[in-house]
Amino acid sequence: MVHSDHHPQNPLTRREASGVIARRAGGLFVASKTLIGGAALVGTGYWLANHTPRSRRDIPPGRTVIDYWEKWTGPEGVAIQLIVDQFNQSQERIWVRRTAVSEIDTKAMVAIGGGDPPDVCGVFSYNIPQYAQAGAVIPLSDFSHQNALYPRGLSTTQSMSPDHYAPAVAKLLSSHGKLIAGVSSIYSLALYYNKEMFRAAGLDPQSPPRTIEELDEYAERLTIKNQNGTIVQAGFLPNLPAWWPYSWPLLFGAKLYDPSTNAAGFDSDQTIRAYQWVRSCARRFGMSATSAFATANDRNYHSAQDPFISGKVAMIAQGPWLANFIGLYNPNLEYAAAPLPVAADLLDPQAPIGMLEADVLVIPRGCRNPQAAYEFIAFTQRQEVQEQLAREHTKSSPLAVCSPAFFAGHRNPYVQVHDAITRSTRVSVLPQTTVWKSYAHLTAGVFDSAWKGSDDVAATCKNVNVRVQAMMDRDSSLQMRRNRVQ
Amino acid sequence: MYNNRRNILTGLVWISPWIIGFMVFLCVPIGMSIYYSLTDYGLMDAPIFIGIDNYRELASDQLFVKSAFNTALFAAISVFMSLVVSLGLAILLEQHLKGASLVRSLIFIPTLVPVVANCIIWLWLLNPSAGVVAAIGSAIGSPSLNPLGDAQLAMPTLALISVWVVGSPLLVCTAALKDVPGTLYEAAAMDGMGPLRRCIHVTLPMITPALGFNAIMSIIWSIQVIAPPMIMTRGGPENSTLTFSMYIYKTAFEFGRMGYASALAWIQILITMLIAIGVLSLARRVIFYRGAN
Repeated sequence: MVHSDHHPQNPLTRREASGVIARRAGGLFVASKTLIGGAALVGTGYWLANHTPRSRRDIPPGRTVIDYWEKWTGPEGVAIQLIVDQFNQSQERIWVRRTAVSEIDTKAMVAIGGGDPPDVCGVFSYNIPQYAQAGAVIPLSDFSHQNALYPRGLSTTQSMSPDHYAPAVAKLLSSHGKLIAGVSSIYSLALYYNKEMFRAAGLDPQSPPRTIEELDEYAERLTIKNQNGTIVQAGFLPNLPAWWPYSWPLLFGAKLYDPSTNAAGFDSDQTIRAYQWVRSCARRFGMSATSAFATANDRNYHSAQDPFISGKVAMIAQGPWLANFIGLYNPNLEYAAAPLPVAADLLDPQAPIGMLEADVLVIPRGCRNPQAAYEFIAFTQRQEVQEQLAREHTKSSPLAVCSPAFFAGHRNPYVQVHDAITRSTRVSVLPQTTVWKSYAHLTAGVFDSAWKGSDDVAATCKNVNVRVQAMMDRDSSLQMRRNRVQ
Repeated sequence: MYNNRRNILTGLVWISPWIIGFMVFLCVPIGMSIYYSLTDYGLMDAPIFIGIDNYRELASDQLFVKSAFNTALFAAISVFMSLVVSLGLAILLEQHLKGASLVRSLIFIPTLVPVVANCIIWLWLLNPSAGVVAAIGSAIGSPSLNPLGDAQLAMPTLALISVWVVGSPLLVCTAALKDVPGTLYEAAAMDGMGPLRRCIHVTLPMITPALGFNAIMSIIWSIQVIAPPMIMTRGGPENSTLTFSMYIYKTAFEFGRMGYASALAWIQILITMLIAIGVLSLARRVIFYRGAN
């Protein structure tokens, strides 16, 4: 006979008794499930605690691991990984772990703001003013070279110095007299042209256009349209690609920014002339036809369908990396490169005009291993390392001195064109202001409206200049206020 | 009393993960964004309090005005087209036509495709040299048809493309149509109403709750639209497809002005709320709820 726990005086029926047994058995079952679940959790925890993640399996024990975010993938990613591997093998204290990151400047900004940045970050030189002003990166000139792997040519007592770089590059890497970043590569824009198309149009491939007037003439001769008016082959179009809408005024002698007075220069006569020329290009070849040609090729750059690589356009403004992609997708393409044509009154072959930009390496504030990060950056700034990376990226060297062997074995046959721009006395760098990204966005609007012919060019340029100046003034006053508060 | 309190406590414990998540991931960020909207804050440095300067700046910000106009244009076309197309298709598919289920499934498929894939498909369809649309344009004598490259056409084109994913509102309309009592149609037919009048006087009033729901959801989605213009046009040409959300994103993460972006976001919320309240008060007058007094 089974008795209830609470009412021993009332005997349970057989049915009630079997219910109690079932509930107890159920309770035991639940308890055993809880036990099994708990044991599984403990087991998983133990396994995880002793488990080495895949990303750390190859790291030799005892090394300080530094995280390095870099934007490059494909052949450019392979080239930077080679440098990372060389560094990892060159010593036994530090291990660099590279991660390819897209939209890197945005993600770096969020990571720094969130207090969990990588140790080294490969951003763009136009980020430096903003990062430096916000104190978001540790200036390289603040580091000591003690225990560091010194860049060749620098004494052990010296910090990494701007003199190590070509003057324009040093300007890009510095802010308020301090060296903020190391360089990973540089680029300038040049005119790449298809020699075969030149010959077919009766032009001499050895004589590329040198002035804007010549460029217009060549473009006209090289452009082929079908019966419908659709462009089959473009000679030269400034909207192909429209990645540097702010670069055209430089070819007319404009200065986009005067750092000494913190003044925008987007309303100058040269700037207005530049965008009037942009408008004339659209009118000459037809706004609809040129826009359609550009839109059709908008997603094809740096692929086998790239309009220049696939022979749809005869001349294009591009950076030195184009040689890399030509080698990859169409190695038989007959091409050459020359400095971008300029306004006739500015022509001086000894001092080409061009715009220089750099990919830079910074050490974010709040990173875990700043000294180790500095050692890695110092390693990358060595002449042989820089030249190796530049060769792999088909770019010119950013350093003040180039080794004689650099050009001999270079994979870009026209690297000297870019090198001449880098070292030219008339090379420009992007406005070193914290509002540059907003400024650049507005210039894209000016380029578009000039191309479509929707607004008066001079009025648009003046309007943008007023807006940019207001942004810069606001930023300056806020910075002064910020300095007072701090 | 004791049991009641204990039940409440037990309930709170069980929903505590949600409450904690709500507080940490929603309430705190909302509060912080109100504060940031009153500061100059660039993410990487400490915010500096500047009062309502960010809101004052909106008045003279041409890109803000442009992006607001673009978003309104997108919303107007997209909401109208979405409502008309979903309702039209739902009514058509309720006519017991052969293959209606298959067509309904086919219409719903784009809703299941990720938005990026949808955008890439449309980029190819609209490609001026290799796209189907350009081929049609060429056949009818418009060889350089390039809607995404034209400042006047780009935003209407994006709005029309948004109708591609009309599957969800279509399902809502279909469910509402199935819920209309057949007796009402019989009575209307006995009163001599033809199909068109039955549709206007019986069907539409009976499905107004579904239409109201579709309208509000579509408006909210349209005001927040970001992915299609970001992927397909990057805001161009001439900023003609720069939407409000895209401008907020660019301001925060490209231009590094989180404070100003927060102010923009609050204006967006305010506009969305005002529109939603407007639509709801209109709905109270227009929508017919069966069973309601």
